[in-house]
Amino acid sequence: MYHSALPASRFAGSVLLLAGLMLPGSALYRNPQNDLAEDLRGRPVDPFTSTDGRAVVLLFVRTDCPISNRYAPTIQRLQQEFRGKANFWLVYPDANESAAQIRTQHQEFHFSLPALRDVHRDLVKRAHASITPEGAVFDSAGKLIYHGRIDNWYEDFGRSRPSPTTHELENAIRNTLGGKATVPDHANAVGCYISDLK
Amino acid sequence: MKCFSIRGIHSGIFAATILLSWFVEAPFAKRKPDPPQQPPAPVTFTHDIAPIVFRSCASCHHAGEAGPFPLLTYGDVKSHARQIADVTGRRLMPPWLPSQDGLRLEDDSHLSAEQIALFQKWVADGTLEGNRADLPPGPKFASGWQLGTPDLVLQAPAPFAVPAGGSDVYWNFIFRVPLKSPRFVKAIEIHPGEKRLVHHANLLVDRMESSRRQEKSPGSGFPGMELQIEAESFDPDGHFLFWKPGSPPIIEPPGLALRLDPGNDLVLNAHLQPSGKAESIQPSIGIYFTNEPATKFPILLQLDNDRALDIPAGDSNFLATDEFKLPENVQLLAVYPHAHYLCRDMLALARFPDGTQKTLIHIPRWDLNWQAVFRLAQPEDLPRGTAIVMRYRYDNSSDNISNPNTPPQRVRAGNRAVDEMAHFWLQVIPFAAPGESRDPRMILQEALARHHIENNPDDFEAHYNLAAMLQLRGATHEAVQQYQAALALRAGDATVENALGAALLASNQLPDAIAHFSAAANARPDYFDAHYNLGIAQGTAGNFAVAVQELTTAVKLKPDDSGAEANLGAAFAELGDAKKAIVHLNRALQLDPGNKLAKENLAALRGTSP
Repeated sequence: MYHSALPASRFAGSVLLLAGLMLPGSALYRNPQNDLAEDLRGRPVDPFTSTDGRAVVLLFVRTDCPISNRYAPTIQRLQQEFRGKANFWLVYPDANESAAQIRTQHQEFHFSLPALRDVHRDLVKRAHASITPEGAVFDSAGKLIYHGRIDNWYEDFGRSRPSPTTHELENAIRNTLGGKATVPDHANAVGCYISDLK
Repeated sequence: MKCFSIRGIHSGIFAATILLSWFVEAPFAKRKPDPPQQPPAPVTFTHDIAPIVFRSCASCHHAGEAGPFPLLTYGDVKSHARQIADVTGRRLMPPWLPSQDGLRLEDDSHLSAEQIALFQKWVADGTLEGNRADLPPGPKFASGWQLGTPDLVLQAPAPFAVPAGGSDVYWNFIFRVPLKSPRFVKAIEIHPGEKRLVHHANLLVDRMESSRRQEKSPGSGFPGMELQIEAESFDPDGHFLFWKPGSPPIIEPPGLALRLDPGNDLVLNAHLQPSGKAESIQPSIGIYFTNEPATKFPILLQLDNDRALDIPAGDSNFLATDEFKLPENVQLLAVYPHAHYLCRDMLALARFPDGTQKTLIHIPRWDLNWQAVFRLAQPEDLPRGTAIVMRYRYDNSSDNISNPNTPPQRVRAGNRAVDEMAHFWLQVIPFAAPGESRDPRMILQEALARHHIENNPDDFEAHYNLAAMLQLRGATHEAVQQYQAALALRAGDATVENALGAALLASNQLPDAIAHFSAAANARPDYFDAHYNLGIAQGTAGNFAVAVQELTTAVKLKPDDSGAEANLGAAFAELGDAKKAIVHLNRALQLDPGNKLAKENLAALRGTSP
């Protein structure tokens, strides 16, 4: 366990700099237990443990964000496509969204991904997430490789292409699995601001 | 005798867009003059923000409406505060396409620069709640039917399954209206179903059941972005029946009621957007009748120049124009600009006979998703000789994110989402010039049809409509020519064959009339009017056995048509089969006790006077 006693918030900016110090295969950074995201039963979960060499993909969503809802089929397609190679998690950054609301959402949208309530915004900070929907790709060592939009379907609020023409998240996952770099490592997403949430 | 006119009706679709961002530099609205030396009071939710949100956002942003999240409480608004400041600052919300340089419009929902600045300052000041005593009363929304319990509620016969993902979907639902006699309608409230899925919906009257031919099975509905509906004789439906999120249903002003007849269908053309989960939608409509018949008869005029729409791939500033000079005085009530995904800028203006001009509507950033019928706050008088000018600009480059083609392709006019349109509809009440006895709508329609033919000699509908107008005013010879022109463009079209037959019959060209009615009946074997007319023509030619055959087919196709029964009875009488004649004549009288032909023939058969 590395630096587990320090508050997560001081750390978000510096973890990448420490990458060289880490032992291969171990998690780069571990959350203090009390800041961990929770599953829908309220149990703390750290998606970066037990990755078994798989990449980690976090998808930040919100039940009342129409754009993140419209991405449900895309998110599920990506999860199917990288089954066994990447661990997908849906992350709900709104502390006011209850587990029951999220369960209803999962039933309606047929999500088969595990959901996390990021009530302390720990994953938000690790992924530098600011918008829902937004994706973040980590390698198996927990290093952030890409964060930002899923693709370029939406150009702005209410303005979407008939279908996306670039696929940033999918490319980043492929690059990560193939050991290639992802440049740029960020693309602005369109959706609801996480900073609007308490 | 029946004749028909086709109207190219359409409903909407969508366009392109360049995103403009701008920053509002207007001064922040002040609640009261601040005493000198004191910093301005911070913007608060209760005092400054709630009044704007309640008035301009909440009508869509509350449970059950189209807005994806409610905006009714401090918590609701605070949890989207930056987003609201952003989308209002760039005028993406509230969705209102027209700029302020056109005519004043009803339900104008645009925010002032001062209101927009308040949102920005609220975020900058820390999204404060403020004094709860300042909070204005929240908006009240009636649940269910907004206009009260309808006189008649119709539900679409079958739901439509909206897929979870993919691009937009267009679906048409047909409502069969169960009327026994003609009624006047003062309002139709459209409940499209799950409102988050429906961008807009147009309701059209189909007086000929012509849309039913597009259904795979009765009641199934049918796909399609644009609708073409055939209309019986000259009976223009001069009403826009339109639904968009957040807009209240319209009660037609006195005298402007819409007539519905037995056998009429109402067709709802809906633009649907998948939400991320598979959903089902089954709209319903509420109809409110009135006993006051229509006394004013508006007409929908369509300016277009689809023939000129041939937009090269990559062209970011393609201009399509049309100009139509009004042949008589009209009063403009509403407009409906329409194009698809490539259109960027729409301008319509009126150039008056003295050379001055006035912008009717200007949409600088067209977005099909927010298309709407725009009703004028006040009717606008447009004198005879005024030119209505339409100028639409299109962006067929890859910079237009709505471009349905990647990479861009040459695009021409058409009904599909990948095609384009340049249409500008006006709802007007025309006024006849002194001494003119004809229906002023017919004069307008004829002038418009001629204008469309000038624009495009290959305009099938225009030739057809012109023919119908000519036939109605007795210019049969020219009508025949125009029907023939339409037929040359669409060989074998059953509706045209039938109408041409009727025009030929009216000019006593019986063999030609029979040939065209036969062609119509062969082209569409379940075409009641063709069999009916062919039966009449054969009877007129003295071929009563064939007439009986055709009228029997007609009666099978429409068992409740008293005219067909009466004529069938007459044909049997001519063949000397009095028994069968009486059966059908009585049946005609059961269907319509006032049927004159049946009464006369029954009396003749019984040797009595009717």
